[in-house]
Amino acid sequence: MSELDRNRLQDPAYMSQWIVDCEREIRKGMIGQGEIIRQVMLAMLTGGNVLLEGMPGLGKTRLVSTIGRVFDLSFKRIQFTPDLMPSDVTGTNIIIKNENGSSFSFERGPIFANLILADEINRATPKTQSALLEAMQEHTVTVGNDSHVLREPFFVLATQNPIENEGTYPLPEAQLDRFMFKILVRFPSKEELKGIVYLTEGSEAPYIEKKMNGEGLLAARALINRIPIADAVMDYILDIVMETHASNPYIREGASPRAAQALIRAARAEAFMEGRFNVSFQDVEWAAYPVLRHRILPSFDAISQGVSEDDIIRGILSTKKPQI
Amino acid sequence: MEQREFIDIIRSYRRRLNLAGFLNRLMFALSIGAGVGIVFQLLSFVMPIYYVNHYTVIALILAVAAAAFVSLVRRSTMKQTALVMDSFGFQERIITAYENIRENGILPALQRNDAMERLKRQSDRIRIPLWPNLKKMALPFVLLAVMIGISFIPSRMKEQAKELHQIQKEAREKEEEIEEVLDKLEELAELEKDTLTPEQIAQMQEMVESLQASMSEYQQAASAEALQSAGEKLNYKYVDMSSKMSALAKSMQEGASVSPMSAESMQAMADKLKEMSGNTSPEGGSLASNEGQNGQDNNSDGQGNGQSGQNNGQNSQGNDQNGQSNGQNGQGSDQGGQNGQGSDQSGQNGQGSGQDGQGNGQGDQGSGQNGQGDSYGNGRGTGSVNYAHDYVSIPNDIADSDNLTGNSVDHNNSEYFRAQNGLSWEGTHIPYDEVIESYEKNAYEGIASGKYPSGMENVIKEYFSSF
Repeated sequence: MSELDRNRLQDPAYMSQWIVDCEREIRKGMIGQGEIIRQVMLAMLTGGNVLLEGMPGLGKTRLVSTIGRVFDLSFKRIQFTPDLMPSDVTGTNIIIKNENGSSFSFERGPIFANLILADEINRATPKTQSALLEAMQEHTVTVGNDSHVLREPFFVLATQNPIENEGTYPLPEAQLDRFMFKILVRFPSKEELKGIVYLTEGSEAPYIEKKMNGEGLLAARALINRIPIADAVMDYILDIVMETHASNPYIREGASPRAAQALIRAARAEAFMEGRFNVSFQDVEWAAYPVLRHRILPSFDAISQGVSEDDIIRGILSTKKPQI
Repeated sequence: MEQREFIDIIRSYRRRLNLAGFLNRLMFALSIGAGVGIVFQLLSFVMPIYYVNHYTVIALILAVAAAAFVSLVRRSTMKQTALVMDSFGFQERIITAYENIRENGILPALQRNDAMERLKRQSDRIRIPLWPNLKKMALPFVLLAVMIGISFIPSRMKEQAKELHQIQKEAREKEEEIEEVLDKLEELAELEKDTLTPEQIAQMQEMVESLQASMSEYQQAASAEALQSAGEKLNYKYVDMSSKMSALAKSMQEGASVSPMSAESMQAMADKLKEMSGNTSPEGGSLASNEGQNGQDNNSDGQGNGQSGQNNGQNSQGNDQNGQSNGQNGQGSDQGGQNGQGSDQSGQNGQGSGQDGQGNGQGDQGSGQNGQGDSYGNGRGTGSVNYAHDYVSIPNDIADSDNLTGNSVDHNNSEYFRAQNGLSWEGTHIPYDEVIESYEKNAYEGIASGKYPSGMENVIKEYFSSF
């Protein structure tokens, strides 16, 4: 299975196997962080965007570049700084002089790629951050009077540093909601760190093979959207989201309807990657954390008592666990 | 695996699941039922519950019925069964396949095949236990054993409950009897309303009210004493009503315009009441009292009366402590009995001692036996209304009067003597026992109509029975 067979793009079993191979290939270039790789892949398979939160140097950029390599997608990295302008992201109209005179021409910004790494997104001003909004949601960019459609698949992977709050602009809730997942990148274990050191400081970096392409990814995405969900599982998903709006001393604001959509998509993608063609309760529970943790606004009580979003989600999952 | 086979497998698990659910609920319900039964049994130690065993069995039956009902209402659906099956590691494959069993398309078909394949290979993983675990199984049986054990422990309260039940049962029977009499009385009054005088109608109305009062007493009777009291009153009423009805019948027979049928029915009613009065009293005292009334009515036949008195007296001895004690009192009055020997009219004295009464012939013998039962009854039984009187002789000097018959007794104290229609004084004369009888009658009527304060009935009865 060295090259994707374009004639079998509609074969779910075949595509599922290819996606698993892609994941395996990405893991070759990354030590540890298996859960993060899986979650990023889920987002890619469902057309979602990811917000990675973690300390610098944990391999976020490497992850994105590896994914880009495996999926054979164009990759751009934007370093967000306070003086970054929206046009630096989207591109701008520039005057071009030629034999016929002067004319405006749209110079595409770095957003015109399949994979975008918006590094330290919270360092840019809200104006610049909002430049990403349209691209993330509509997959289009409007400059002046012209709207430019982004190339599919389009995928934004933003990062932010959780400890450096000085001179940062926290992302507004509306923008946070547009990220399908918020993934916490934790510090690797000693064993993982050892592997990372050997991998990066060794004489030879591993060869990452291209396993997939944009067309295959879109085909897989279409298949995933058709995976059946049992009523009981669907009820479970809705119950979880509704429970974030129930009376809970630790929740100031519950999740939006986008959370339910994201949860369904993520659970489907998880089932697909597991080689199953149905969604299980376990898939939902697994996807609930990255889907909900940035959509729940913790209350003052939760913050003061040190109750994290994950703790709140854990509580919701335990109360809403299906009784069989 | 065919779709049909797939559905059949789910259906078979559904049956098993429903049966397991029923057995589980049954054990739980039996535990609850046995728990309630234990509570009932324990309650029967502190309060009289005659039907405690019935209630216990009903609690158990209700619990089992509730278990069956809940199991029926909450029986598993195919989807629920599929979900349960999925919980054995099938990761919602079965429920999804079942829900999309008729869906066409690559993915639903693949999913179904995957689910069926898994089910085929791993069906042994699905283990739905039919019976609950050992603890759940043992609990109801332990509780049932405890409940049965408790039910066999005797207690004073249980005995009391039995007695109370007996009292209530007797009271109910009496109520029915009274109701029957009331119906007949009302029917009779309705039939004869044109022939009876207003006084007679009022008299009958009075009887009805009096019986209704007795019915109310029986309804409220909660002790043997209350039942006895009500019985005595009712008995008295029956006797009284019998005599009144007899009188009514007699007057109707004498009336020219009245049909003999009416008089006969009235007399039949009177006879029935008399008969009922003989069957009414549960106590020896009451029975003796009946006899006294009988004696009052049928005193012309001393022998028959005596026999009757003997029987009743014996019954009272055998049945009731009160009767026995009264009998003992009667036996104790030797003096009266001995005095009775001395005179041929001493009906009252004759009641004093059964042994002495035997010496005086059959009539006195009957009285004597009654005396063992209840001295009050004897008094009434042997006392003559019209024919035989006990007279008190005039002491000393008056004994020589020409108007007096009999022997003077040495100017000593008074003596009794018996005389047949032997009046000694001029003017109005009311015999002693008649006066007592009259007073007693009024007193009993007052008791029957609730004229006296509660609790005073026995005092009044004791007073009159002491004569």
